[in-house]
Amino acid sequence: MSSSKPGYQIPRRSVKGHEASWVKSFNPPKASPPTPELLAPTNPVPAFVAANIPGASMLIPNTQRVDLMHGTDLKTWDGKKLEFFLIANPDVPEAAEGIFPGPTIRVPRGVVFHGQVKGHGQPPHTVHWHGIEPTAMNDGVGHCSMEIGDYAYQWQPNHIGSYFYHCHRNTLQHFEYGLYGFLIIEPPDAYDPKDGKNVGGYPRRTAANLTNFPKFPGFIGGSLESGDPHAMTVPYDVEALWVIDDIDSVWREQAQDAHQTFPEHGDQPGVNDDFHFNDSGKYNFFAFNDYNPDYFVVTGEYFPGRVGGTATMRSGVTVPAAYNSGVEGMQVSINAKINQTVLVRMLCAAYVKIKITFPVDVVVIACDGRSFGVPPFGKYNHPYTLKAGTPFEMSTAQRCDVLFRTEKPMNTFAQVEYRHHLSDAFLLNGRIPIIVK
Amino acid sequence: MKRRDFVKYAGGGIASLIVGSAMPSWISKNPLLATTTKQVDELNFTITDAVKEMATHNSINKAQCYFWFYKEKTFPAEVPGPHIFTTAGNTVKVTLTNSLDEPHAFYISGMVDSGPIRPGETKTIEFTPQTAGSYLYYDNLNAPVNRVMGLHGALVVMPSKAVSGHRFTPYSNPTPSVQQLFDDFGSTEHFPGLAWEQGDDATHTPAFRQYVWVLHEASSRLFEEVGKYTPGKDYPAAQFMKAFQYDRYRPDGLNKKPEFFTINGHSGWFAAHNPYITPNHRVGEPVVVRILNAGLSMHSLHIHANHVYRIGVNGVVQENPIWMDTLTVDPLEIYEWAVPYIRPPDVPNERGIGLPDNPLMSIPNPRIVGSTPHPVWPPTEELNIHMPDIGEKDGDYDLAVQLSPICYPMHDHSEASQSSQGGNYGLGMMSGIHFIGDRNTPGGVTTFPNAPTYHGPEKSGGAAGPEMGMDGSHTMTSNTTNTNARTQIINNPINTDPVKNEHQLHGN
Repeated sequence: MSSSKPGYQIPRRSVKGHEASWVKSFNPPKASPPTPELLAPTNPVPAFVAANIPGASMLIPNTQRVDLMHGTDLKTWDGKKLEFFLIANPDVPEAAEGIFPGPTIRVPRGVVFHGQVKGHGQPPHTVHWHGIEPTAMNDGVGHCSMEIGDYAYQWQPNHIGSYFYHCHRNTLQHFEYGLYGFLIIEPPDAYDPKDGKNVGGYPRRTAANLTNFPKFPGFIGGSLESGDPHAMTVPYDVEALWVIDDIDSVWREQAQDAHQTFPEHGDQPGVNDDFHFNDSGKYNFFAFNDYNPDYFVVTGEYFPGRVGGTATMRSGVTVPAAYNSGVEGMQVSINAKINQTVLVRMLCAAYVKIKITFPVDVVVIACDGRSFGVPPFGKYNHPYTLKAGTPFEMSTAQRCDVLFRTEKPMNTFAQVEYRHHLSDAFLLNGRIPIIVK
Repeated sequence: MKRRDFVKYAGGGIASLIVGSAMPSWISKNPLLATTTKQVDELNFTITDAVKEMATHNSINKAQCYFWFYKEKTFPAEVPGPHIFTTAGNTVKVTLTNSLDEPHAFYISGMVDSGPIRPGETKTIEFTPQTAGSYLYYDNLNAPVNRVMGLHGALVVMPSKAVSGHRFTPYSNPTPSVQQLFDDFGSTEHFPGLAWEQGDDATHTPAFRQYVWVLHEASSRLFEEVGKYTPGKDYPAAQFMKAFQYDRYRPDGLNKKPEFFTINGHSGWFAAHNPYITPNHRVGEPVVVRILNAGLSMHSLHIHANHVYRIGVNGVVQENPIWMDTLTVDPLEIYEWAVPYIRPPDVPNERGIGLPDNPLMSIPNPRIVGSTPHPVWPPTEELNIHMPDIGEKDGDYDLAVQLSPICYPMHDHSEASQSSQGGNYGLGMMSGIHFIGDRNTPGGVTTFPNAPTYHGPEKSGGAAGPEMGMDGSHTMTSNTTNTNARTQIINNPINTDPVKNEHQLHGN
């Protein structure tokens, strides 16, 4: 027995009778259809942004605009230029040409959200609101519905927590190229001026069940069914956003010539499809499966270090209000005061795996936009303490929210260890400053 | 095309064996298992090899990959080996013949180890699983080479009975929280519908709905090298690992890193449209999925439309089952998911707290002919859009496809695995979660237009339950293609792109 004289031949399955499915699964239709089951949008955030961010406007009432841009070169920490696809918000001047990562979109729970998404450049796009679970057309996956010229995605967020949004066309490439941003679902009254002075600042609230963690003040219990917008939420004074990403500079440069990442169907679909369309001449990149990152970045801020090393992010990095739905003061590297409640929202946007280690005990309150212990759906689980120094593993697209509060000042780091997804080889130790005074 | 004629797949290449003398209750009414399943008293495996055509293919490029695998006596050759189902306490007898040139084995961690079986030798082993759960059977010799070359498969052990006074779970000794979850399915305000153990003959809904996903990566160049190695000598494991995990990058992709990424040996369209991999169920029909990583790479599985409870981790029933949308799966890890199959919670509804409240009422959409206010769930306008329009042909084939049949993907978000042969996004490690209806709609169970079923209507009669008309009314299903009126679209006033199937020449 050997590969030249095998015991068996295993043929490919027939697709007879399913030829039309081919169209969507291979190269989905590009379309700009109307939004079915249309509702009037009720999201108050675009109006708040228009009123509070200098120069901002609101072209479409109560509608978040998302433009998907093409071909912008950005410099990394050592000056190397890499090509990005960026997400823009044309209603906000500072974000109108696109930023990396895309603007953080905050939405109160229970409103009708409209995201008016427009693709720029030649390829079509989609937006998938990762963790949000609407109907399939509004889920934004090309292969399950359509890819868009433009389209108004419609959904109503039902669970407070941490999400993100990204292009789901050729995700392998478009997500890596930077077409993603963070998405935060907040309590229903987070943008209600009646809530007082903190619409555009802190403290804010997020969902949790902290019945067994009295060290965090201000937790309100009760039930969601009661209609209390603050039921099962806790206030936090400081918010840090860690969108943990990696970049393979070689892969990215080569992939610019990867003009054949979708198979084409032939005139007899399922019979004479061309899986290697244009597989000759200059467009001959076929190594999308071989991903080896050499740049490491958190919320757009690079760890200045090489593979195999340790690198520390600068302290004092914050996210401007123009990139954060009008909320001023969101942090990346952490600066807090003693006895403040600090919320760290983490997203693994890296294709490799990461291990995060905190220098203090933290309480894990939520994963993937679902808060532990919040009934009815969370009654099967509960928040738990992650002891200082214990690595917490995350893989691509997972989110995790942790809280900490300390009575002692500290000047220290959280550590992000990157390891290769295939070989488990060590790649980098990134350190994020945490200063508590 | 009728989306419900999945029966043509004849099991989709997923073979299952039930071991035991009596047909257990948990299988007898489950056509998902029963139609692809043979009931046997003992397993008869030959350890052999094959060349398999992978998902990327055409007349120019055969995309072939060499494998070793466990060939079951009566099933066609397939990698991985068949799913084996049995009940805790049953004795499983396996007869193995090694027709390859090196020693091979059959091993289940903590349960059975055949020891080396010499080339040409036949060996019979017996073991009695006592604890319900999901197990990987594989060849543990020359680790990890023999396993990664394809000698692996899934063993599912079901509990013989539920804990007294409770609903069935997939476990012999569930934790209180997992037991509570399965007790709540079908009996609470937040999980209306059926319990996991409940089926419904009237709607052709099987009981004990469960799926097995064996994850794997294949490297055609490395596997061929192993196949050509000196007969009788093991390919050095360290050399195999080095090539598989570290081989030097080449822009043409022709190194020895894995370039095919499969679930149960299938990938891309072939897995996502396979009803024995991708669940097709209604809201209110909870499902169990068993995930086993037979390969050498980490995967990060993201399911759309429903968060899932991670109820089992490497044989440990969870005390704190996290409700998640993305799961980390390292090599040789085994997980169980409980998929609640609730209405996608972010469909707009009255209170917006994730419960199955009344859906909001839509407003007329001036771009959709005949659009009038109606509940936004089930989504009538969405279900009736076809793209391209019906009648648009490519050769003899009508290309019209229901644009959004409420089908969602499940895919590995560690995106290198979403390729095939280094390109071809969408032909990698993925499956799906499809909604064919809703058990909890006013007036009874709803089945969406053109909903797929595990059996074609020619076998099962009308697809489960009444189909929904465009106006939201319920009509009885017929065996013919659905002829509901379709949504007409007025040209988009914002964008001038015509609504049509546009074949992009470029992929990025």
